Amino acid sequence: MFIGTEKLTHTYMPGTPFATEALKNVSFSIEKGDFVLLLGPSGSGKSTLIQHLNGLLKPTSGKVHFDREVIGKEKRSLLHLRRRIGIVFQMPEEQFFSETVYDEVAFAPRNLNLAENQVDQKVKDALNRVGLAAEELAGRHPFQLSAGQKRLVAIAAVLSLEPEVLIFDEPTAGLDAAGKKNLFNMLEYFNRQESLTIIISTHHLDEAAALVNRVLVLEGGRLIMQGAAEEIFSKRQELYDAGLALPPVTEIMHELRQKGLPVSTAIFTLDEARQEIINLKRRRYR
Amino acid sequence: MSRSITLGQYLPGESLIHRLNPRLKILDLVVILVLLFTLQSFTGLAVLLGVVLVLFALAGVPFRYVLRGLRPIFFIVLFALVIYFFFTGGGVVLFRLGFITIESEGVRQGLFVVGRLVILIMFSLLLTLTTTPLSLTSGMGFYLKPFRYVGLPTEEVAMIMAVALRFIPTLMEESQRLMRAQLARGADFESGSFFHRAKNLVPLIVPLFVSAFRRADELALAMEARGYRIGAKRSSLYEDVIKPRDWAALALILTLLGTAVLLGL
Repeated sequence: MFIGTEKLTHTYMPGTPFATEALKNVSFSIEKGDFVLLLGPSGSGKSTLIQHLNGLLKPTSGKVHFDREVIGKEKRSLLHLRRRIGIVFQMPEEQFFSETVYDEVAFAPRNLNLAENQVDQKVKDALNRVGLAAEELAGRHPFQLSAGQKRLVAIAAVLSLEPEVLIFDEPTAGLDAAGKKNLFNMLEYFNRQESLTIIISTHHLDEAAALVNRVLVLEGGRLIMQGAAEEIFSKRQELYDAGLALPPVTEIMHELRQKGLPVSTAIFTLDEARQEIINLKRRRYR
Repeated sequence: MSRSITLGQYLPGESLIHRLNPRLKILDLVVILVLLFTLQSFTGLAVLLGVVLVLFALAGVPFRYVLRGLRPIFFIVLFALVIYFFFTGGGVVLFRLGFITIESEGVRQGLFVVGRLVILIMFSLLLTLTTTPLSLTSGMGFYLKPFRYVGLPTEEVAMIMAVALRFIPTLMEESQRLMRAQLARGADFESGSFFHRAKNLVPLIVPLFVSAFRRADELALAMEARGYRIGAKRSSLYEDVIKPRDWAALALILTLLGTAVLLGL
């Protein structure tokens, strides 16, 4: 187990009439290098779970593990943990407060009290890693950027800590198709080439399904499924019962299959679907 | 995570006291305050204390909420007791040590004043614990109406108060979210000198202001789109009906006042 929880329960405002159990007995584990999808309808506890993973929230009961340690067990600062596990929150561009892109990205490394030349290096690396031209954008005001660029700057602002684990809460919210595609390509690169462990949460399955190797499904604060991606995505009816749908392309493939066409249903992107249909036609008319 | 933040002291409930009309509830409180200040005896205070305790029980408010609500006046109570005990004379001497004397009249007056204060706070608590901030403002708004004749834009003032109340939880939630987001980026809001900590709040305050202005903009647009105009006559979605039970409650309280006056309690 690289990251995991053990019977994690979290209650907001315990001991008051407003007490709500956001997480109930959640136990999961993932390994280093995994690309994990945390799936669940709105209000199922995804954000609450994510915030436990770097100590922003403390369990009401249960434990959170990271790299052979129990989070929050030792009294030492959580800063070392937050260096290793980066969280990109929902709509992260709403956190911007600096006058330049440079300062925004430099915020995290400066919090580590690094020398300014080290900070400078980290800022440039982070901007390059998200594919932004540091020289061109560093001096701009963050609010002048396009929505897609803002999202990338916000991600760079977390990457500048050089975490080994990257967690995204609803990373595609508010992005257009091109922005989404760019983001997913980037995440795939981080996972495959830079061996980062990545967790993304979503209530809406889309192209992300093609990237991940593990899936956790939350419903009403309970972990109702966990396992390899192929396995979970084959349980169409169970996902449907939990209020979740497969990506539209996958749904189409399922429909085609039900109509009697021998197509694979493990298809999550338009490109794959197109290829599968072309192959089918070729097989038929050969 | 709106569920983790509440505004004011309101405790949701379905009791009769929760459902009383806020306008009359405020009037009820005023009558009770009058009653409280006409009372001259401990018997009267005891009766009223009994009444408020029964009402709390009826409203289903756990007693620890009452205690928590009384906590802020603890020092005032202590201070009043000390002043009365040591500096008000008359009656028999109860205790003497050096230059300190405690006389019975001081003790009596001290306990009476404190009892009155505590009961007053308890009744006010009953109102705020069982009435949503929004209905409280709408109730207050009603009593503000006469001020329109002296040029106060009462409708607008009520709207400002309602909007402010509506957005306090939203902004609190937002600041909590921002705080966590910046903590995840290694921010530190706790250690350092006062000046240092104030400076560390910048990553919190700037985005909070940005979003508050954005929300204000959106809200203004939405209000205009639905035909809100300054000075226009507006009606409300929820008719503020006064039901027989509201009059009955007021009648009961007035009876209490009348009885107390007649009996000279």
